[in-house]
Amino acid sequence: MKRVPQALLITALAVICAAAGFVVYQWRAGDDNQTNPAAIGQMLMAAHLIGLDGKAHPLEQWRGKVLVVNFWATWCAPCREEIPGFVKFQQQYGTRGVQIVGIAIDTAERVAPYVQEIGINYPILVGGIETMDFARQIGNRAGVLPFTVVIDRQGKVVTTVVGIVRPEKLASLLGSML
Amino acid sequence: MLMRLCLVILLLLSCAAHASEPELLEPEKAFRFSARLIDTNQVEIRYEIAPGYYLYRNKFNFSSEPAYVAFDASQLPPGKIKQDEFFGAVQIYRGDVHFVLPLTITGKPVSPFVLKAVSQGCADLGVCYPPQEQKAELSFTAFSAAAPGASTAPFLQPAPQASGVPAAVAPQSEDKLIAELFKGGFWALVMSFFGFGLLLSLTPCMFPMIPILSGILVPHGEHLTHARGFALSLAYVLGMALTYALAGVAAGLAGTLLSSALQNPWVLTAFAALFVALALSMFGFYELQLPSALQSRLAAATHKLHGGHFAGVFAMGVLSALIVGPCVAAPLAGALLYISQSGDFTLGGTALFAMALGMGMPLLAVGASAGTLLPKAGPWMQTVNRFFGVVLLGVAIYLVSPLLPPVASMAAWAALLIVFAIYLHALDPLPHEAPGYRRLFKGIGVIALLVGIAILVGALSGNRDVLQPLAGWRGAAAPDARSPQFQRVSSVSELERAISASGGKPVMLDFYADWCVSCKEMERYTFSDDAVRARLGEMVKLQADVTANLDDHKALLKRFDLFGPPGIVFFDRQGHEITGLRVIGFQPADKFAAILDLALK
Repeated sequence: MKRVPQALLITALAVICAAAGFVVYQWRAGDDNQTNPAAIGQMLMAAHLIGLDGKAHPLEQWRGKVLVVNFWATWCAPCREEIPGFVKFQQQYGTRGVQIVGIAIDTAERVAPYVQEIGINYPILVGGIETMDFARQIGNRAGVLPFTVVIDRQGKVVTTVVGIVRPEKLASLLGSML
Repeated sequence: MLMRLCLVILLLLSCAAHASEPELLEPEKAFRFSARLIDTNQVEIRYEIAPGYYLYRNKFNFSSEPAYVAFDASQLPPGKIKQDEFFGAVQIYRGDVHFVLPLTITGKPVSPFVLKAVSQGCADLGVCYPPQEQKAELSFTAFSAAAPGASTAPFLQPAPQASGVPAAVAPQSEDKLIAELFKGGFWALVMSFFGFGLLLSLTPCMFPMIPILSGILVPHGEHLTHARGFALSLAYVLGMALTYALAGVAAGLAGTLLSSALQNPWVLTAFAALFVALALSMFGFYELQLPSALQSRLAAATHKLHGGHFAGVFAMGVLSALIVGPCVAAPLAGALLYISQSGDFTLGGTALFAMALGMGMPLLAVGASAGTLLPKAGPWMQTVNRFFGVVLLGVAIYLVSPLLPPVASMAAWAALLIVFAIYLHALDPLPHEAPGYRRLFKGIGVIALLVGIAILVGALSGNRDVLQPLAGWRGAAAPDARSPQFQRVSSVSELERAISASGGKPVMLDFYADWCVSCKEMERYTFSDDAVRARLGEMVKLQADVTANLDDHKALLKRFDLFGPPGIVFFDRQGHEITGLRVIGFQPADKFAAILDLALK
């Protein structure tokens, strides 16, 4: 029976080594620093996108407001579902310094009639598919729509949401900034 | 005790599985695309749609490049009806979708061509993906007059490369190749994994298992029957196989790479230390023994387990799998890579189970022989033990060499070889009447000694290549002067800055590490080529030296889904990655120049 304990010792040792290594790895992986929110905000603010008027609009012009940037498209059913909520929200909170901006991954021809139809009361900019690369960099790794970014009055990204944001949720997200 | 340890491991595994939240799949993983030609008139398209995701039937668009093939997409099969609040009743596809499209060839067919498939879909979670283009390279050559209607064209990978890129660009790394293996049928795949396991059983990775198994069999001494020996080793092998199967399933569920966790410096160092400890005991420096108090308790526990002796052996198999794990990390990485991407954990678990069974075949043979194949004690056992010791030390050095400065790992190899040579009596005079095997051993010893000295001399004279330790002595070749100058980047933000400062030039990003042999080969043979240098002159050349493996380096690698060098990534004049143009592994100058041409286009 002498060699069984030896084998046991070896295997136990291996397990302890592996477990220790794994724990250290997890612990070290934990402090992977997130991308700097100020730098992302800076990137976003510096972007120029074409509006429905055919002119380039810098996002910089809304600095100082609580900016809610919503990436959407007309072909995206969940986006259509959430937009009426944004319209209501803009109406209600616009006077308290909230500015919603829609960035459509779409063409101006399709966006314009839709804006009319729904009565969107906030600016809509149109970006090509490459705009999604940008969204990917700021936390939307799968590159999906809808996608919403909240930027504070100092131009720092506060939070990003993948999927539908209801007005109640948005109000609670903005809570302390209003 | 064993069962408790076993539980701890399962817990650890399940913790790892739950550490990451369910994430949205990237579009190419949510909607896996492949295509093959059935004959010259039809193409079969396949989308493997992940559960919880769907594609719109009316959003497909198929085209070819060059544009001499037209596809008739009016023949799409009906989908499931989805009532959409905004779009009304729309037809969608879910699950594994195959359909055949008629095609017409206009003009002169040039093989191969690229099928470009545009699709658009959403996830049930309430998000949609923008329309995405996926490509497959197809060729009519299989349907030349000699083989009419032969439908044996293999399913093509969703061609990761852009059109016109030479096939050699496809990543050739070991794990990618294994991931491709999964394209075959279910049983073919399971069988190939079994065969793969058999091959692995011939590697030194399995050596640590031999003393463990003999530890199980030897106590039975003369009473060990063939049947019982076989049954015991079967229990052991099944334990090992089950662990691998669980790892496969865990990877499938977690969507994370278990193996990348196994390849991190801490785990590697821990295992290298274990291998060194094992090696030293092989050399007889000490006997691995538990404190006697623990030993007697364990013995008692083993007695208690008597009826369930098989359970104990089984648990030992489970634990052994963990010892061997990091050593077979590369093939495991391939299997786990596929499983984690596809989420197909039935297939993944079965394949890994088969692989482990294959690995266990020699152990089963040992068991069935009732221990007669096991080394019997004797002076020659010492020799075998020492040999295993040397091999284990080699494995230890191999495991940590990516983490060490090259001088240190070269010195370690040199020391190992030289000490090995001394053990083989390389420097002791042969007796006049020496038997043949001693002459052979001495010959091997002298070779090991010479190679060891060459590596040591090379390391001390500033050379950093284990395989060509004396290359620096070739005279004034001075390859450095001919290599292009790279700008160093070491983090994602530095990379972004460098790309935005590229001034409209295409950018090449080369991942490099001191331990990466093919990076050095690229430097020595490819980058120094005149044609390559001329083209590189028109590009911004960035290099990320990830030798130190800092967090920034890891983030940079992760950004490109690379596990480590070698890897060369290109960006176009607008600073976007040119997808599919990656070069992974060594590439000769002429091929690399052709790729640079594409990047410069």
